Amino acid sequence: MQRLPLSYIRPGMKTFEEVVDAQGRVLCGKGVELTESMLQKFQELGVSYITVEGTPVKLPWEKTLEEELELLEKRFSGVKDEFLLHVKEVLKEVLMMKHSSGAKNG
Amino acid sequence: MADPSEKRKEVKKKIRKLEGLPALPPIIQKLNALIEDERSSLTQIADLIEKDQVITTKVLRLANSAFYGFPRKVSTVQQAMMLLGINVLKILIMTSSIFEIISKEDVGLWEHSVGVAACAKILAEMKEVSDPQEIATAGLLHDLGKVVQMIAFKEDYEEVKRKVEDGLSPLQAELEVFGIDHAEMGAFLMMQWNLPERLIEMVNSHHDLSRSKKYRKESALLHLADLLVHARGYGETTYVGLPPFDPKALTILKVDPSEIKEIYLKLEPRLYELKFFTEELKREMT
Repeated sequence: MQRLPLSYIRPGMKTFEEVVDAQGRVLCGKGVELTESMLQKFQELGVSYITVEGTPVKLPWEKTLEEELELLEKRFSGVKDEFLLHVKEVLKEVLMMKHSSGAKNG
Repeated sequence: MADPSEKRKEVKKKIRKLEGLPALPPIIQKLNALIEDERSSLTQIADLIEKDQVITTKVLRLANSAFYGFPRKVSTVQQAMMLLGINVLKILIMTSSIFEIISKEDVGLWEHSVGVAACAKILAEMKEVSDPQEIATAGLLHDLGKVVQMIAFKEDYEEVKRKVEDGLSPLQAELEVFGIDHAEMGAFLMMQWNLPERLIEMVNSHHDLSRSKKYRKESALLHLADLLVHARGYGETTYVGLPPFDPKALTILKVDPSEIKEIYLKLEPRLYELKFFTEELKREMT
């Protein structure tokens, strides 16, 4: 999953979350493949960011899943508290989901 | 070694006199006078702000930034004022001068603060704490004391870092060097600036919930937001691992562990937007 400014979005990318307009109306559901005409409409309606599936754009500051998981282990090294370990598991889950291609969830 | 209690007095004195510290921009004082005067109109207030081009740019930029998340473009100060409210705008103008210092000295800390602000806002909305935007501002300012250390006590700050490298916890290191930790330092500066009591108490108690008396829920909220952003690994602070966490925060705030996933799922897209925003500002600085 990546949340990107509209200018980064290309036709063929799939939505990970609903696209919402300036008035909070839903313009497009989850898992929809975006088309050129949809993107044009989004621009007219003032949509600034869209969350898409997978990681289609290489951002200079973005880490790979392996790097993320390695750093997560480092941050949590020596942690034994039950709640904190739960936070770590949740983060792992969120990171894996974020980096998955998203092909399975429609 | 210097006596920490003597050092503590010196630190407080310096903050009281704002020696080497940012004073509130003069426009804030004029703004205060205008706001207090019941006869002044929104247009008058907007006019005053618009006289200062730098501040106008900042206000519009921040109003349009991901941090606030207004879906429509905000293009005038008056619009920004109506959307944000005059009090938020005041805090915005104040913090933008801090931003400038933080960004020059330490971008990592600034990113951490912006992340905590976003997380605090999400928690405030989830737990129906009043005025989530003000809560976000507390997130933005929670490590203000560290900024004070960086800009007004450079050498001592280096010593704190050395002690942390030698294995001391950051809070202990601060107490040994300054006789006061960054939470109390930040709160003390916020007091000099006459910021709202709720914000001051939150900042003061963000590493020690027993310091909060009147705003326990808000303080617990900031404590949790700080932990969650450290755990996510967004931005940088003196903590390599996690800051100490007091599980009482969960009880006070009525957060169930099963809610943590929902919080991170809401936070992650915000962090993306913030990263674009901070990267953009970083590019401008160089």
